[in-house]
Amino acid sequence: MSASNPSLSQGSIVHAEPVPHARGGISNPILGMLLFITSEIMFFAGLFAAYFNVRANAPVWPPDEFVGKVHILPFVGPATVLLIVSSFTCQVGVRAIRRGDRTAMNRAIGVTLALGITFLVMQFIDYLSLYADGIRLDSGTFGSTYYTLTGFHGAHVLAGVIMLSVVLYRGSAGQFSERHHDAVEATSLYWHFVDVVWIALFSTLYLLPGH
Amino acid sequence: MATTALRPAVPVIRTGLYEWLTTTDHKKIGMMYVVNSFIFFFLGGLLALGVRSELAMPGIQFFKEAEYNQLFTMHASLMLFLFVIPMLAGFGNYVVPLQIGAPDMAFPRINALSFWMLPLGGVLMLSGFLTGSGAAANGWTSYSPLAQAKYSGIGTDLWVLAVLLIGTSSILGAINFLVTIFKMRAPGMTMFRLPIVTWTVLVTSVLVLLATPVLASALIMLFIDRNYGGHFFDPAVGGNAVLWQNIFWFYSHPAVYIMILPAMGIISEVLPVFSRKPLFGYKAFVFATAAIGALGFSVWAHHMFTTGAVYLPFFSLMTFLIAVPTGVKMFNWIATMWRGQLTFSTPMIFALGFLAEFLIGGINGAFSASVPVDFALHDTYWIVAHIHYVLFGGSVFGVFAGIYYWFPKMTGRMLNETLGKVHFVLMFVGTNLTFFPMHQLGLAGMPRRIADYSSTAGWTDLNLVATIGAFTIAFSMLPFLWNVFVSLRSGEIAGDDPWEANTLEWATTSPPPPYNFDHLPDIRSERPVFDLRHGLTGGHRLAPPPAPPTTPPSPTPSEPAPNVLVEA
Amino acid sequence: MPMPGVTRSRAAAVVALMLVAVALGACQAVDSFYPPAAVTRQGVATRDLYDIVFALAAIVFVVVEALIVYTVVRYRRRPTDIELPPQIHGNNLVEVVWTVIPTIIVGILFVLSWQVLNTVDARSAEPQQAYVRATAARFQWTFQYLDKDGKVLFESLAPELTVPAGENVHLTLQSKDVTHSFYVPQFLFKRDVIPGRENWFDFTIDPQDAGQTFRGQCAQLCGTYHASMIFSVKAVTPAEYDAFIAKGTADAQSTPAPSSATSPGASAGGPPASGVSGGPPIVVTAQNIVFTTQSIEAPANAPFTIQFENQDAGIPHNVVIHGGTSITDPPLFDGEIFSGADSRLYPIPALPAGTYLFSCKVHPNMTGTLTVK
Ligand code: HEA
Ligand code: HEA
Ligand code: CUA
Ligand SMILES: [Cu+2]
Repeated sequence: MSASNPSLSQGSIVHAEPVPHARGGISNPILGMLLFITSEIMFFAGLFAAYFNVRANAPVWPPDEFVGKVHILPFVGPATVLLIVSSFTCQVGVRAIRRGDRTAMNRAIGVTLALGITFLVMQFIDYLSLYADGIRLDSGTFGSTYYTLTGFHGAHVLAGVIMLSVVLYRGSAGQFSERHHDAVEATSLYWHFVDVVWIALFSTLYLLPGH
Repeated sequence: MATTALRPAVPVIRTGLYEWLTTTDHKKIGMMYVVNSFIFFFLGGLLALGVRSELAMPGIQFFKEAEYNQLFTMHASLMLFLFVIPMLAGFGNYVVPLQIGAPDMAFPRINALSFWMLPLGGVLMLSGFLTGSGAAANGWTSYSPLAQAKYSGIGTDLWVLAVLLIGTSSILGAINFLVTIFKMRAPGMTMFRLPIVTWTVLVTSVLVLLATPVLASALIMLFIDRNYGGHFFDPAVGGNAVLWQNIFWFYSHPAVYIMILPAMGIISEVLPVFSRKPLFGYKAFVFATAAIGALGFSVWAHHMFTTGAVYLPFFSLMTFLIAVPTGVKMFNWIATMWRGQLTFSTPMIFALGFLAEFLIGGINGAFSASVPVDFALHDTYWIVAHIHYVLFGGSVFGVFAGIYYWFPKMTGRMLNETLGKVHFVLMFVGTNLTFFPMHQLGLAGMPRRIADYSSTAGWTDLNLVATIGAFTIAFSMLPFLWNVFVSLRSGEIAGDDPWEANTLEWATTSPPPPYNFDHLPDIRSERPVFDLRHGLTGGHRLAPPPAPPTTPPSPTPSEPAPNVLVEA
Repeated sequence: MPMPGVTRSRAAAVVALMLVAVALGACQAVDSFYPPAAVTRQGVATRDLYDIVFALAAIVFVVVEALIVYTVVRYRRRPTDIELPPQIHGNNLVEVVWTVIPTIIVGILFVLSWQVLNTVDARSAEPQQAYVRATAARFQWTFQYLDKDGKVLFESLAPELTVPAGENVHLTLQSKDVTHSFYVPQFLFKRDVIPGRENWFDFTIDPQDAGQTFRGQCAQLCGTYHASMIFSVKAVTPAEYDAFIAKGTADAQSTPAPSSATSPGASAGGPPASGVSGGPPIVVTAQNIVFTTQSIEAPANAPFTIQFENQDAGIPHNVVIHGGTSITDPPLFDGEIFSGADSRLYPIPALPAGTYLFSCKVHPNMTGTLTVK
């Protein structure tokens, strides 16, 4: 469609004065990812607001029938540690590609991916045991908020895992270089975000004392 | 003939239609936004005519109660989610890259994705009408517990999913706008030289980015309540009915500014051009826009004054305060025209219509900011009057100003001025006839969302007037549609810059080539094309500049600007 | 385009004429721009506030609209306008002026509103008060008369609330299902009735309005028949009110008090007992938004008839038979919805043996059991 119009770019602009401000800085995909993460934060803010609202309205929290039923051990605590570690390994990968060391990046992203998958598996097993214990999505406000918050976080981990897989695939296929690796940076930003949300969730659901 | 035909270089289906379906060009996408939004405007309008027909007289005539509730729910949902918001996003799509001198949006394919989610969402929402229990009928506010599964059918689920889809489209669009505006400006296009439309799209995008995800979370929780036994919003099972209202309005108040700010931007584009003056108080205008956006996040509970569950004085104060930056805009607009040389082409008269009508909508909104007064007015037809003075008198007049203004750029042809004026007069009269009596109905105690009223209530005459007005509005669409139809074929050729305008979209051909510009003029102020026409000094000195000798003595604005952009 | 033929004065004259016409029309209809005369002490305060808001709003409206019209008429482009007008980019002083003046206006409005709010939305400390409770359920209002400690003296199923004029009335609001809103236009007031939350408000009707009845209506969309959720408030003298309470209380005590839940008061001689089986129609009765026939039996694998008696005047009900014991089970039979007091014969197809839930489509909280054997 552009055949008839060879001069596509702004190549022929006459600069009468030096460009008043350089538009360097972060690249479009990374800015896009940061904005996307902003919207995701607002999404979780809505869920957290609902959680704190039902929590404040409940006469006791957690409700009697759930006391002592959600456990940090054996799964959730270790999974938390894994997820935090994975943020670091992810960052190692980013550093590596910034140096141009694609092999190291692939290795680090591979480890991150494995940790992410492990997190999901552990959360799934934890769900199974909770379910067996009678805590379901429809178990009162407690069950609803618990599964909605952790479930949506899990879905975001899954999205992150898919993005990491793509990065790993492209990395193994020889893509990405010292100068050209926006996808790696963007994925790692997203992964850190997922991690931070989990820390907030974990603190709220497991550490915050009830009333 | 050799039958061993080689693969054809271009598949035969690569026709015009195929081109439109697969395009990632922001201009084509922008125009598809506009056309798509108009389709939903007409559908939403037809539903409104249904509402007005039923209310014309006491008694149930055309629609039973259950159907009536679907009518106004879908009317509002179509108008808000599938007409106003996408329509303004469509203008943004078309205009913003041109105005900042960019070849396209930052993420063209995501842009196409955002668009295609809209017709899909619309079909999903409307498909509720085909289900046994009908479309959503809980009002566009979808208050819980009424919106729970025990009280409403599958139509509500379709509504929830559709709004989620449309919301996702908005969020992706907002990210695209922000990256485009922050990163793709042409050299010289500093933030404080951005055209006002672009500024309003920027602020709107921030609002979308921060508010719409919150609505998404609420919709998902409602969906869980309805389908998976959740306990968020139904007090019968331990949830909280007011929680829904809080989260919903936390989105929906900023959303009403999403629905007006770009329209204000359009007005701020049109008024200077047809007054031959710069926008008065450019920076004040930008700050006022930002202030409206920021204050917009602290007033949501003014929709909940009568719940007895919110801290009234705070929200009352913040709501009152929003009148101040909006007033700044109003006065800046008037000052822009003050001592100008006004010509009354159709875009301009629609812009003037906006000023006259939006003023009424803003002021009757301020009544509700006064809590005791709102105790009386809440959920009466007064509020319906407010809704339509701001959204119809404001946003829709702004949209039509934009259509008449940019149609020449989009199509290369002018719209007919006479038909445009007939359209304006009918629509202006119809608007006031329809929505002004609603103030009186509201004061007389007529609640909104009722399918029927008693003949002894004394509301009959005013309702009949409103119905006549609604059909007048509908009738006013005929000259408009005819105008578009005729002008597309045989309208006057527009030329690059038929209005002697200010901003960069007029520095390229009509319609612009792919990737928009062959050459860009220098950008030294917020009016690069004006500078080009009159010399830079003209834009920056208070003294009247010497008229360039080329300016023809006739003030007819249709004189195309000489195509001398490169020489500047 | 400029209007070449029209001179400035002629345009001005046209505008002036139009303004006069509007003003004349407005004067005639001026009453309709005010809410109805308030009948409560609180409403009068609101009405005074409204008058101020209206006056200020009218001034702002007229000034700004006049500025627009003046500018448009005065600064039309004339054929002699060839040179550009002065290119004024702004002026900080006027920006400050038109920021400060509206700020002052809204500041005044806010303070006034807040003061009135403290009158309108306050708990009265008067010793002599009437205590009543309104209960909203789709689509009907019922009213309970309480003593000081909140104990229910008696309940009135007619949608009419009787209150003493000249005394403070403390009204509490409860919902059985969705959100409703208690709205009396002549009170200039409404308050939402929200499930899971007890709202309240106080009002005092002007003593001279004793003997009057005020129309009220649900103002919050609550479902299909939201428009028909109408009630009235009857103001009586304090003496009449005392008599009313005494009589109601005595009546309630003399009735053999069922379980406090349903049908106290008037309708003596309850609905015919159920349990009819075999041939003729099985009677199902609805009253006060409950099925007073809680369980019925029918023969298996044979069609039968339900005679549905809807005894709630003006309130729609029907009978839905579900394919199981939960309200979410798909309906096997979905009878016509109609308003009481009336009755219908529903032909029911043959059903296999089992237990079925039946409900009212309009009121999902109304349920009963059908046993087929
Ligand atoms: C485009 C959309 C739009 C816009 C711009 C606005 C603008 C405003 N709205 Fe509106 N509003 C809606 C759309 C909008 N609204 C909708 C759809 C609803 C109903 C939702 C539903 O329930 O379905 C609603 C409902 C609504 C309510 C709830 C009413 C109720 O349900 O009881 C309130 C209460 O305060 C309110 C207030 C305001 C105020 C103060 C403004 C201000 O921003 C207006 C400011 C402008 C001016 C005041 C005019 C110009 C100013 C001057 C000339 C300066 C001088 C003026 C003064 C000193 C007063 N609005
Ligand atoms: C942008 C938003 C928008 C717009 C443009 C409109 C436009 C109109 N609205 Fe709407 N309205 C709302 C937003 C809007 N409304 C909202 C948010 C509510 C609250 C809903 C709620 O309570 O939940 C509402 C509620 C509402 C009510 C109250 C219902 C009730 O409470 O019971 C009424 C009643 O009269 C009404 C009337 C109208 C009318 C007559 C128009 C007219 O302007 C429409 C004009 C008609 C047309 C434009 C049709 C033209 C079509 C043709 C001529 C046919 C041609 C067809 C083809 C070419 C296919 N509206
Ligand atoms: Cu109850 Cu509307
Ligand atoms: Cu609002």
